[in-house]
Parts: sequence; structure tokens; C-alpha cells
Amino acid sequence: MPDTATEMRPPRLAERWIETRLPAELAEAVSGDLHVEYVERRARSGRMRADLWYWTQALMLRGGSLRRASRRLAVVQPTHERSGPGRAARDHSFLLEIPMSVHDVKYALRRLLRTPGFTLVAVLSLALGIGANTAMFSIVNAVLLREIPVTNPEELVEVYTSEDNGFAYSVSSHPDYLDIRERATAFENVIGSRTTIARVDLDGQPRVAFGELLSWDYFQALGIEMELGRSFVEEEDRTAGTHPVTILGYRMWTQDFGADPRILGESIELNGRPYTVIGVAPAEYTGSFPVLVSSFFVPLMMTNEIMGSAQLERRRTRGMFLKARLGDGVSVDRANAELATIGMALAEEYPETNENRALVAVPSGDVSLHPAVDGALAPVAGLLLGVVGLVLLIACANLASFLMARAEDRRKEIAVRLALGAGRQRLIGQLLVETTMIALLGGVAGVVLAQWTVGLMMALQPPMPIPVDIEISLDRTVLAFTAGVSLFAGFLFGLAPALQATNPDLAPTLKSEGTAGAGRRRWNLRNGLVVTQVAFSFVLLIGAGLFVRSLQKAQRIDPGFDVSAGALVWPMPELSGYETPDEVRAFYAAYEERLLADPAVTGVALADRLPLGSGIQTADYILPGVPSDLPNGEHEIDNATINDGYFEAMGIDLLAGRTFSDADMGGPPVIVVSEAFVTRYFPGEDVVGRLIQDGAGEDLQIVGVAENTKVRTLGEDPRPYVYHLQGQMTFFGMQVVVKGRGTSEELAVAARTSLDDVAPNMVLFEEIKTMNEHLALLLFPPRMAALLLTVFGGLALVLAGVGIYGVVSYAVAKRTRELGIRMSLGASARDVVGMAIGGGMRLVAIGGVVGVALAAAVTWSISSYLFGISPTDVATFVAIPLLLTTVALVAAWVPARRASGVDPVSALRSE
Amino acid sequence: MPKGDHLGDLEELMLLSVLRLGEDAHGGGVRDELGARAQRTVSISTVYVTLMRLEEKGYVRSWKGEPTGGRGGKAKRHYSVTPEGRAALEAVRTVRADMWAGIPDATDA
Repeated sequence: MPDTATEMRPPRLAERWIETRLPAELAEAVSGDLHVEYVERRARSGRMRADLWYWTQALMLRGGSLRRASRRLAVVQPTHERSGPGRAARDHSFLLEIPMSVHDVKYALRRLLRTPGFTLVAVLSLALGIGANTAMFSIVNAVLLREIPVTNPEELVEVYTSEDNGFAYSVSSHPDYLDIRERATAFENVIGSRTTIARVDLDGQPRVAFGELLSWDYFQALGIEMELGRSFVEEEDRTAGTHPVTILGYRMWTQDFGADPRILGESIELNGRPYTVIGVAPAEYTGSFPVLVSSFFVPLMMTNEIMGSAQLERRRTRGMFLKARLGDGVSVDRANAELATIGMALAEEYPETNENRALVAVPSGDVSLHPAVDGALAPVAGLLLGVVGLVLLIACANLASFLMARAEDRRKEIAVRLALGAGRQRLIGQLLVETTMIALLGGVAGVVLAQWTVGLMMALQPPMPIPVDIEISLDRTVLAFTAGVSLFAGFLFGLAPALQATNPDLAPTLKSEGTAGAGRRRWNLRNGLVVTQVAFSFVLLIGAGLFVRSLQKAQRIDPGFDVSAGALVWPMPELSGYETPDEVRAFYAAYEERLLADPAVTGVALADRLPLGSGIQTADYILPGVPSDLPNGEHEIDNATINDGYFEAMGIDLLAGRTFSDADMGGPPVIVVSEAFVTRYFPGEDVVGRLIQDGAGEDLQIVGVAENTKVRTLGEDPRPYVYHLQGQMTFFGMQVVVKGRGTSEELAVAARTSLDDVAPNMVLFEEIKTMNEHLALLLFPPRMAALLLTVFGGLALVLAGVGIYGVVSYAVAKRTRELGIRMSLGASARDVVGMAIGGGMRLVAIGGVVGVALAAAVTWSISSYLFGISPTDVATFVAIPLLLTTVALVAAWVPARRASGVDPVSALRSE
Repeated sequence: MPKGDHLGDLEELMLLSVLRLGEDAHGGGVRDELGARAQRTVSISTVYVTLMRLEEKGYVRSWKGEPTGGRGGKAKRHYSVTPEGRAALEAVRTVRADMWAGIPDATDA
């Protein structure tokens, strides 16, 4: 087992495959030879290609010929040291010894081509199942499973600073980072990153790009080699603002610079300042967060320049994610003990900023996105994979059922071959080759479908708060998953029919038509498959029904503000050459004035955060006399900073007190609170005039109470909300809502025209959008859920319908004789059709009962994603069975009609 | 089929490869040699099937080597040409030489 080239090991599964196909010694010689070439190829053309080559070699191995040659040799040289021919057969399981040869493949192909209709339907239905699974899995893979290509990932930990309100996994400040780096002995290195956006100017076309600020040793510590050039050196991260250098992300390098290696030494403009390109990151490393693709990396010491404000030196400004590599033999517990001590020391030295803040390390392997988010994502991922898994199972059940019908028809042929001495294994092998080929074709078509689906889903614009690329690709893991799923499916739906068709109990088949003993058991298995399909379809359709109903309810909710025509603009003055707060304020004032001068515009609302927008914004407040759950005794409340015209423009009524006015500018800080704020914290009181304090202890006077609006999600209960007045707080990134006469589109044009007048070079965070688009974003998750489940549920319904059709039509064909007897004894055509339908519907009834019970048992797991309805919603649980019954009746009736056409005489004569 | 019957084209080339490689003759080496010298790309399966057939005919003999590094710790199967194999090769050469005798070189023509 020990081996100098362990890291260059060929795919294990492929090696195992060779071992199961060949006698031990031959397998050793062959895989050893392949190993040598594999290592060469991998060094030459990379792992992906080498793996692919190895797999091809392994799968193309002519196991049959090799085993025959080896067996003949053993006959000639019985005393030869070579391992005996029979041993391999006994070593391995029955199934793996099933011989498959090129001949079988050709034979199977011929058979499949002879029934192109069946093949097409089989491949397509599998492709749908496999495609759905591949698409889902590739998303889950990109978000939760993707491994960053770092050396010894098991030594890495994530280091978090807690919030003073007790939330454990928050970001750290740069001064804290430097202190941890300096004081901690448990780590080999501590590295830090901070995500940022910057204006990138390429050919005079400014746009906002997503990037990262990194400690100089970030790449070295992770063991990531540059694609081109070098990574940062210590010198470049020692003094603030002195080394404008950058490493480009692989995607930016290929998309914007055509992968031109001459980019090294050139400079690109970030926020108007030239940065020299010193390197290009490798394709495998897209940034420190999965799914987000960083366009550029710059040293941490350039933070102030990129961020546009002095953030580097401030211990209060926390925005860094820290990682650390554990030193030799250091446990996570020991590291945590040391971090706790450092955290306490910092709290003592800097009580202003660090009181009640602790440091904690979590092994990186336990974290996918973030400890707080992972817990919520895993069940969603499980749910999605469960849904698509069900679709695949239904497709498999369908195919198995079809194949059993086909095998039934071949039963006599097979029985004759068995009787003439054909090996059962060989026959099973042939049948399995056929199903495996269907499965693999389905897999290939599924990958194509999946790629298309993922592209489509990405085009639907997921509600990401930042304009970034999302890296979801069909990588090795995904393709391996698909291959696995396809083969599994092939065996799943192929094995049962194959085993059964080759059942060595020949006598009944040879003797008579297939209605006797053995036939009865087979028949039941097919019925079982139909029951399974119906049951699974029920589960999916009920899930779909629940989500659709939930979506309908969500769309009817009043968000509490005016959702009629409007346009949203998100300017980024701090990235557009406006440096001081005064300049920024002047821009907004000028823009607002210009907009209001347009006769079509009736109101302009400014806010640093819009209700139902992306992201959550809260601050801690001190509410005298109100007990708190948080360790710092404060209250974490959602807030926004707005202009004085906000309430009117947004159509939010004031319930008490007044709104902001010009007179408040420069005066003592005043706030407006939401109705929910009053009912939660000061029920029944008149709060106008009351003083509360912000986290820094400064007094805030409540001057008004506004009606509630939805804040984070449509489904939430009324949420306390605090409005601050723009101008009384320093601010960045205000969004502008333009309301007026005309359509949203017309207002968007007006917003653009005014912007071009006031600030033609303004960089926008995202394109100007309409109010409808803003709201659509919010309904994205429920809409996606409803859409996906409806599509999958519909798919399941069609598959189940086809299954029922198949069973009934087969039953009619097999029972021709019996039906003929019944008709000759006086049964009417109606009776006969009723009987045939009844047989099918009995299965549907059983499947329905099982399915409804199953659905009732599993829908609780989605209750937290449903809005306004219970997971056992009566309407859904009534409507879906009705729908399915109708479909089933039609599916059974069509073939059953044929039964009435049976001619008693010819039916009795047949066979 | 009696031993030492007809020697196929691939069999001939393979025997020659084993002969050329001497000490280091094994499946992978033979395959490389065929590719490099005879421009014949053959699959690993073909190599072993043919070698086993040659062994069955008594033209080569084989034995298991020691596990070595660089092969994932897997042992080679070594091959060497038997006197019978050598004789068969010589026979083919004689036949070929007889057939070629008296045919002028293409370049001279």
C-alpha cells in the first residue's frame, strides 16, 4: 500500500473496477502499468484529463477476453504459479462477475434501436430525473460541498469575534486581527480577508466589481499557487496605502483580458487609482466564499483606499474574516483556550470597543458558508435533493415496470435459451447491459438538461445583495455524482426485471401462457411499482400544492407601503469621486431637487435600506426600563436612515406625532418609530417625546409613530423599526425611490435622465429597476419553490399516468382470454371495461392512501417555508387527490376501452 | 490447435518487443515499445491477451516481480522469450528474407 506517489493516485473506484473484472494477479499487473502512465499523464495534462483517461482505460478493459485467455493458459499450465481461473469468480460477488462484452453492447444497441419509441421515452424520462438531480446537486455542491483547493485543510480553523449582544460568529477588526496574529502561539499563521466592492474602469466603462482585501500571506498559508505571476510579499502589506498591487481573479483575467499573460506588470484602475497586476489566481480558487467569485485581490493595507474611508486603524470597524492554521499537534480546544485569553485581554485593554466580545475558532471543515447560515441551509438542501430524488425514483419505477412488461414478452425466448444451456449470468448480463445503456444515455442527456436548467436558474436573478458572478459548474464531483446516479438507476430499474425474466424455474413458462403461479408473483411486483409511483407523486404534488397556495397568500399581503409604479436607483457616490460626506450629501440634495423639478415625479424617498430589500440592518438601542435578553442589556432593532419626504413618497401614514422636518437638521437627534415598536416595548403608552439612547449612549427623541411595514420578509409579524433622519447621521449608499405619475418604466427613464443631468458619471450599484422588480426579488424564494415543485410534481404526475396506462393496457392484453370467456358468458362491454379500470384504480387507491399518509408525515418539514397555510392544508389535501384520480381514470380508461372490443371467439382460440 | 502454429503479425511484433526489452519486459513496457517503434497503438487488454496467448503457445514465459514504487505498490508481471519463441521468430525472419530475395529496393527502382 505505501507508495511514493500517493498523491498521484488514480481514481480508486476505477482501480476497484479493474480488480473486480480481472483475476487478482492480472489485475495487479494491468493496474500497475496503467498507474505508471497515469502519473505521466497527470503531470503532463492535469488531473481531470488523467482521471478521464484512466476511467476510459478501466471501462474499456476487455474483461471477458482477458479472463478467457487466462483460463486457457491455466488449462495448458495447470501448475503455473498464476492464480487459478475459478478463484476470481468465487472471490467476487455474483453480480460483479456478470460477463459483459463488446458483443453484448452491440446486441443491446441493436435491440434498443429496434424499438426507438420505447428507447426514446425511457431515455427522456430518465434524463428528466437525472437532469433534475444533477442540477440540484450542482447547486448544493457549489454552496455547501465545494472544497477549496488548500493544503491540509484539516489544520484550518475559522476565527470569529462575537458581537457584544452574544452572537458568537461575527467579523473582526483589523487592529484585533494584528493583535491575535501577534499574540497567539497556537497557530502557524493567522490570515485575514475582507470582501469589498470597487469601481473598475476598463476602456472607460466603469462598473462595480466584487473583490477581496487579503493579508499578504493569505495564499501562501492556504497553499494556493498562482496561475500566473506571484502572490503578495510582506513588504506590500506593511504600511498603509503604499503598495497598490493586485492579483486578478481567474475569471476576470479570462473574461476581461482574454487570458493574456502580458497583463502582468500592467495596471488596472480600482476606484480611480491604478493598481499594478502582479499575479493571477488559479481557476480552482474563486475567493474565500463559495459561490461568490472575486474579480480582484489587493493587500489589506490598501483597505482605506478601496473602502474610501479610514477603516484600517479603527478597532470599532469590524469586517474581516479570519482563518488560522493550527500549529503542529495543537488541538482546536487548545487554540480556543488561547483565543479566549486573548479576547479577555483585548476587552480589558480596549473596553470601549471590545467589552463583552469573545474570540472563538471553529474547524474550517465544519463550516460551509458561515456557522449561523449553514444550519439553515442544510435542511433546504436536503429538501431539494429529496424532491428530485423522488422524481428519479418515480422514473425508475416506471422504467422497471416497462421493462418487466418487455421481459415478459421475451420470457419464452429466454426460457428456451436457458433450457438450451445458456448461462443465467450471461443472460442477466445482456439484459443489464441494455438497461445500463439506457441509464447512461439518460445520464448524458440529463447532464445537458442540467446545464440548461442551471443556466436558466441563474438567469432568473437570484436575490443577491451584491452584483457578483456565481460559480456553479458541472465539476468533477457533480459529474461523478451523475455517473453514480445513472448507474444506480440502471441497476435499480434493470435488475429486478432481469432477475425475474431469467428465473430458472422454467417449466410453467414453457408449458403454458403466463397466467400461472410464477406469473402471479411478477404481476404483483409490477403492481407494487405502480403503487409506489402513485404514492411518491402524491407527496410531490401535495408539496407543490402547498407552495402554490402559500405563494398566492404571500402575493395578497399588504407590505404596508405603496407598491404602485416607482423606480429605484442605487447610486454609489463614494465610488464615483465624491469623497467627503458633504459632497455626498450635496449630490443627493441636487438629485432630489432635479427629480422633483420633473412634472411627472411627485415624490422622492431616500433610504439607506428599503423595506423588503436585500440584507438585514439592525442597531442596538438602549430602552430605559425595558428588560432585554441580550447580555449588554440593549435591544437589537431594525432601522433605516431616510429623508424627510420618505413617508409621503412611500405612502406610509403617521399614526402619532410628526414626521421629520428641515428644522430637525442640525438639531438634537430625533427618530420616528413603527407601531410595532410601541406595542412591543411601550404597550399602551404615548411614546411621542420619550427619550431612548443609541448603542453609544446618545439620546434619541421619538417625535412620531408610523404605521407598520413589512421589513425583512412578507410573512413576518409586525417588526419594531426605527427611522433616523438623513443628515443627522453620516451615511453612505442611500437608495432613491422615485414615485409619480405614469408607469414604473417611464419613471425609470425620468430617474435616469435626471441622474445624467446631475452626475453623468455616477456608478450605480445595480441598474435602475422598477418597484415591481424590487418586489419580485422578494418573492423569489417562494416563487422558485412553487415553480420547482410544480414542475417536478407535474413530471411525477405524467410519469405516474404513463405507469397506470402501462399496467392497465398490459393487463387487458394478458387477460384477453379471460375477458373473452366472461363476454361469451354474458358480460357486457361496460362490465368488462369497468373491470379493467377497476384493476388499475385499486392500485391508485392503495397508492393514494399511502401517499397521503406519507405526505402528511413529511410536510411538517416544510412548514417553516410556508406562509399563511398549515402543512396539512385541507384544500390541498382534497384538491390533489381529485386531480390525481382524474388523471389516473383517464390513463386507465384509454387502454381499458380496448377490452370492450375483444371478440370472444378469437380470444378463446388464441394460444 | 498444436503448439507453435502460426505466428500473427502482432504476436511477432510483441515477441520482438519482449526480446528487445530484455530484463525490463512487462506489459506496460511492451505497449510503450510497440507504440514508439512500430507505431502500433494497442490497448492494455490486447497486450495482455496476446502475451497470454504467446505464453499458451509456449513462446514466452512469465513470472511475478516484486512490488515497486511508482506503480501504486503493484507488482509487474515480467516476460521473457523462450527458446521456442526465439525459434518461431527466426523462422518468420527466414521466410521473409526468402520472399524479399531478388526484389529490387524501391529507392533504386
